[in-house]
Amino acid sequence: MRLPLIEKYRAASFSEIKGQDLAIQDIRDFFESFPKKRAIILNGAVGTGKTSMVLALAKEYDLELFELNASDLRNKSSLEAVLKPSTQQSSLFQKGKLILMDEADGITGSDRGGVSELIRLIAETQFPIVITANDIWQKKFSPLRQKCKIINLKELDESVIREILYGVIDKEGKKLSQETFDLIVKKSQGDARAALNDLELALNLGEGEFINELSEREKRDDIFNVLKNVFQAPTDLGIVRAYDSVHMDLNEISLWIEENIPLEYKGEALVKAYDALSKADIFKGRIYRQQHWRFLVYQNFFLSAGISSATKVKYNKFTKYQKPSRILKIWLANQRNAKRKSVMGKCARLCHMSKKKMMKEAFLMPFILSELGDRDKARLDLDEKEAAYIEDKKVSLILANGLNRFRV
Amino acid sequence: METESFIPRENDSSIWTEKYRPDKFEGLVGQDEIVNKVQGLTKAMNIPHLLFAGPAGTGKSTLALIVVKELFGDTWKENYLELNASDERGIDVVRQKVKDFARTKALGNVPFKVIFLDEADALTKEAQQALRRTMENYTKTCRFVMSCNYSSKIIDPIQSRCVIFRFKLLEKKDIEKRIKFIAEREKLQLSDATIEAIYEASEGDCRRTINLLQASASISPSITSELIQTLVAGAKPAEIKIVLEYALSGDFLRAKEKLLDVMLKESISGTDVIKSIQKEVWNLQIEDELKVRLTEKTGEIEFRLVEGSDEFIQLEALLASFVLAGKGV
Repeated sequence: MRLPLIEKYRAASFSEIKGQDLAIQDIRDFFESFPKKRAIILNGAVGTGKTSMVLALAKEYDLELFELNASDLRNKSSLEAVLKPSTQQSSLFQKGKLILMDEADGITGSDRGGVSELIRLIAETQFPIVITANDIWQKKFSPLRQKCKIINLKELDESVIREILYGVIDKEGKKLSQETFDLIVKKSQGDARAALNDLELALNLGEGEFINELSEREKRDDIFNVLKNVFQAPTDLGIVRAYDSVHMDLNEISLWIEENIPLEYKGEALVKAYDALSKADIFKGRIYRQQHWRFLVYQNFFLSAGISSATKVKYNKFTKYQKPSRILKIWLANQRNAKRKSVMGKCARLCHMSKKKMMKEAFLMPFILSELGDRDKARLDLDEKEAAYIEDKKVSLILANGLNRFRV
Repeated sequence: METESFIPRENDSSIWTEKYRPDKFEGLVGQDEIVNKVQGLTKAMNIPHLLFAGPAGTGKSTLALIVVKELFGDTWKENYLELNASDERGIDVVRQKVKDFARTKALGNVPFKVIFLDEADALTKEAQQALRRTMENYTKTCRFVMSCNYSSKIIDPIQSRCVIFRFKLLEKKDIEKRIKFIAEREKLQLSDATIEAIYEASEGDCRRTINLLQASASISPSITSELIQTLVAGAKPAEIKIVLEYALSGDFLRAKEKLLDVMLKESISGTDVIKSIQKEVWNLQIEDELKVRLTEKTGEIEFRLVEGSDEFIQLEALLASFVLAGKGV
């Protein structure tokens, strides 16, 4: 199996981690002075090397790594398995342990007590604990901060990202144009993981296709972040500007909201959110009918503040947002219904009716039209496909409703 | 036999709604008063503009056709233009067609041609204003016969230029008469219970009645009420009930998907969906008080749809209320 570049070239030791020399010294000090401080927090943006650093630490001191996540904290038995002093099963070859609490930001409001559980764990632990976080300065972590040594990892300089990318391209024996290379570096904003993933994409897709994909992804990333903000973050004054940075118009955004409300909200919040969405839609209609664009303010308000305030319970969880599917489904259905429409249109002319009225009789017409006399057939002037549609429809109606049992 | 009074001239159509469409005043059932007046106007070989208002399948188009056949005899096709307001895109198309048609003189003794504008209430107010001017411009060479479901949707200036006739919903005995008449001709066997079932299913709409009869006959000449009910059930958005059940049980996602599915598969419009929701609400297994509240919400959503809002978004908002109702809130 081919490993993704990000795994293939993950730093295997401290010496391979680029641009974080100070932090590395700090983490060594922490481990060697353990248990002076029992836990350490690696705080830094994504892709700055937090996880790599933990892996390197385990490797360098030959430690067995135990990973915990937020839900483990609430699960006594799994915790005990980790914490059980090794003396009980002591062996000469028993390795030391290192406990990793990855992405502590994931401890959420609904996980109430998660932080205090973690603090209790720190008090009891026989092994060093490393906590990684993107933003440890949130209020909910304040008691945790007092128990830990905090190491801040700075974002990687462009020059460091360049160095990493050069190394990988070189080892892979590949080539890349200077423009694409620069683009990847710029886009990464100091995130080595993003840079390596983009590099992999560029090498796999070819450079032209890669650049297209980037702009698409930018749009998607945008809307994903904004949706998360609108659905999950506390409603604040700035919420009405949530969509300002998204490269989509409100109608497209409204489709995204429509698709994803049920993935986020339940019960009363769901009702309120749809209520807000439907009100935004009313204003949209008024804009079109009256060409009064000032109503955009209201459409925007209901789509942002309206949706956001549908629930007071705020949370932080990962939702896999879905692309709006309705437009595609409608298009597909129209393709499928095109034949019925054309048949009913022709039939309407014959019966002195509008197509619209005829469509309402569509469930009866296959039976009637399949037994037409020659003169009516000529007047109806159906093509082969339309004629086949009538027969198919008739048969499927007979089967679906078990009509054959009525035949004598 | 009493059927003697409305023997239609049988034409050669194999579509029964056409085959049994009366083409004499005497053949039209259930609208005696209107028929008398319109017949009187037609005999004088000069008709005013006419506006026929009333429910579907009560004889509006049929009466219009009878009028032109009486007026023009064999040349009726040359002197008659049928337009469907709901099919023609925009008033400009209507105007152009009217202009082209009205430009030439009528053939025969009658000094005008007749334009039948079906579903005139489908035209917007602006389009109706434009139509009114068109009516005035061609008043010497053309008469308009318009049909609509609700005369209130026709602007006053047009109403005041027309003689208005309000068609009644056909009574059970009228529909029954028609069914028996056709059954005899087509050698069908059906009981009184079957006739009752057909009447129930078609709700006084004579066109639906006859289509239902012909569709059933294509399956079997001996028609039972069960066959009628099965045919109708297969077509009604009965699945709307399933959508509501999902919503009430709290499964919004499935309700939403099913709704989209039902609407797209049979290309049912949002207003049709909301009509069946409105009928269904009262039969649901929930507190009466909730039913009243949900009906109010349903009415509000129907209003928004009529106003031109997005049918999917509005219906989903309605479904969300059903989710809450399912929890007894």
